[in-house]
Amino acid sequence: MLNDLHLDRRQLLGRAGLAVAALAVPGVAIAGPALPDWALGVGDVAGDVPMQALTLLHGRAPEDLAGMLYRNGPARFRRGGTASGHWFDGDGMIRAWGLRDGKATLAARFVDTPKRRLEDKLGAMVQPGFGTASRAGSRVTSADDTNAANTAVIAAGGRLLALWEAGSAFAIDPDTLATRGPEVFRSDLAGMPFLAHPRIEPDGRIWNLGLSGKAAFVWRLSASGQLEAGQAIPLPMGSYIHDFTATARHLVIVLQPWVQDHMALPFVESLSWKPELGSKVLVVDKADLSKRRIYELPPFAFFHLGDAWEETDGTIRFDGCFEADPSFGRDAARALVDGRYIPVPSPRLTMVALRPDGRADMTAAGIEAEFPRSEPQLAGLPRSRTVHVGGYLPGRPFASKVGIWDWRTGKDDAHDFGPRQLVEEFVPLSSGKRPLLMGTTINLDTRRSELHLFDARRVAAGPLASWSADMALPVSFHGNWVGRGAV
Amino acid sequence: MKIIAATAAALFGLALAGSAPPAFAAEPVAAAATPSLTVRFAGIETPTGAVLLSLYASEAAFDAGGQPVASRMAPVKGDTAEAVFPGLAPGRYAVKAFHDIDGDGKMGTTPFGMPTEPYAFSNDAIGEAGPAKWAGASFDLGAADTVHTIKIR
Ligand SMILES: [Fe+2]
Repeated sequence: MLNDLHLDRRQLLGRAGLAVAALAVPGVAIAGPALPDWALGVGDVAGDVPMQALTLLHGRAPEDLAGMLYRNGPARFRRGGTASGHWFDGDGMIRAWGLRDGKATLAARFVDTPKRRLEDKLGAMVQPGFGTASRAGSRVTSADDTNAANTAVIAAGGRLLALWEAGSAFAIDPDTLATRGPEVFRSDLAGMPFLAHPRIEPDGRIWNLGLSGKAAFVWRLSASGQLEAGQAIPLPMGSYIHDFTATARHLVIVLQPWVQDHMALPFVESLSWKPELGSKVLVVDKADLSKRRIYELPPFAFFHLGDAWEETDGTIRFDGCFEADPSFGRDAARALVDGRYIPVPSPRLTMVALRPDGRADMTAAGIEAEFPRSEPQLAGLPRSRTVHVGGYLPGRPFASKVGIWDWRTGKDDAHDFGPRQLVEEFVPLSSGKRPLLMGTTINLDTRRSELHLFDARRVAAGPLASWSADMALPVSFHGNWVGRGAV
Repeated sequence: MKIIAATAAALFGLALAGSAPPAFAAEPVAAAATPSLTVRFAGIETPTGAVLLSLYASEAAFDAGGQPVASRMAPVKGDTAEAVFPGLAPGRYAVKAFHDIDGDGKMGTTPFGMPTEPYAFSNDAIGEAGPAKWAGASFDLGAADTVHTIKIR
């Protein structure tokens, strides 16, 4: 993707710093007595975060590694006496973790959405969401009025796209992190749903879905983020779809038996868990969306899938983080905002094989895993390694480990940050030929966010380098590394 | 969210452009007042095309996609447009409107049926997960000529 805008990080952060320096000094605040310390992960950030230099805690970064880890996640859940009813409904904030000449920086800025403007004006959380009921003062004339733009961020065509799932992507200036507005790919597609998990081919072409009941709109964008084609296709059932996957030649759409079978608000209340339906996988030919196959699998719930690939005999494989039921998204992720922990089934790393004869089967890795990632240059191609987080501890949410599972050896090369860190998604990148892993955590002892860099061949050896910010930003969802000169 | 898309697809199919303007159903009562209603649209952002609007005189027609008592096409002039309904019977009315920016006579929609052209209802009423209802959009027309202004966005 990413060759058409030269990005100079000094200029970038200098301008970002100027742009936000006048705004409110951030600080995490959460209401209520006797909250558990992990509630720092769902705290509120008061305002945009001017660029700051991070403090090196230990180690050293490769001198030639330069770029940005852009991440997105909810960072404001409460206004006045009101709160979001779900972890997925807080205001999106883009974090830019920068690295250059061995030095690290952080700047962060909220996505300027209609929802955030209205709720700022009213001093209350009023807009409905995934798991949030609307309150007095709510104004909804389109899905984008409820768009939190809080789930992921990608770079394409000289801009960042802050992604949600039930409405538009929001274009963001990669230099200042300022919001340009909802992206209209074509006038008749304004406000169409656009998932937070596009699949990006190694040459940069972007595939994505937008969902509405038992229909999916298939988006195909060029590497520079321009619309190439769009078409609606029918789905075998009206499942909740947060993510899909793809091989070089096929879209792989996994349908869990968590289905929208009645009208209710907020949205999550319209979903019913029906394990008797089983799970299904719809495979669609990228070159002809009318060519399709459907496979049957046992029931599972999930949010995230790994990249898929095809083997020479036609077998399609992909992994995913599967849960025994959807109680995390349905119940536990709502309680999080109140600082309440509800035990739920762990996500388990599982390999799916779709056979040429129409059978499908699943193999468990035997480990807990979430946020599966793999090298962007292998997207859609055979691979054996899956980057993931894990280590879910009794009595608290959020991961405590990062690892790379190797399906070939059946081994997990993992680092345990311990119970005093909340571990966010890690992403693979490389410095020359050296494979690396970068991600963030929240340190519950120092109450600060940290940036960590690993050698991806020796994760268990611990970080190559770690840095600390002077504040904690709440737990984020997804992000991507953008090498310098490559936005 | 998705639920909005689902309901709006069904409900925003405003039966205005497609239906030919019907004859007045509201016959003015002889010797009684026959006020005119001027509907004025403000805040139009794109100075092209026309505002297509329909006037309803009953909850059943307004909420359930029934027939309007009259429809108009009001050409956009700058950031405003205006339509006049003369000789109405005093009573309760409501308006549905959309701005036909591209002049194709239809409310533009996405492949999932969501509007892509601005629309509005009388009283600037806003629906919950769908078009506004009669309860929020209806207003009284008395014996005197009346101007009702709607902000359309
Ligand atoms: Fe996600």
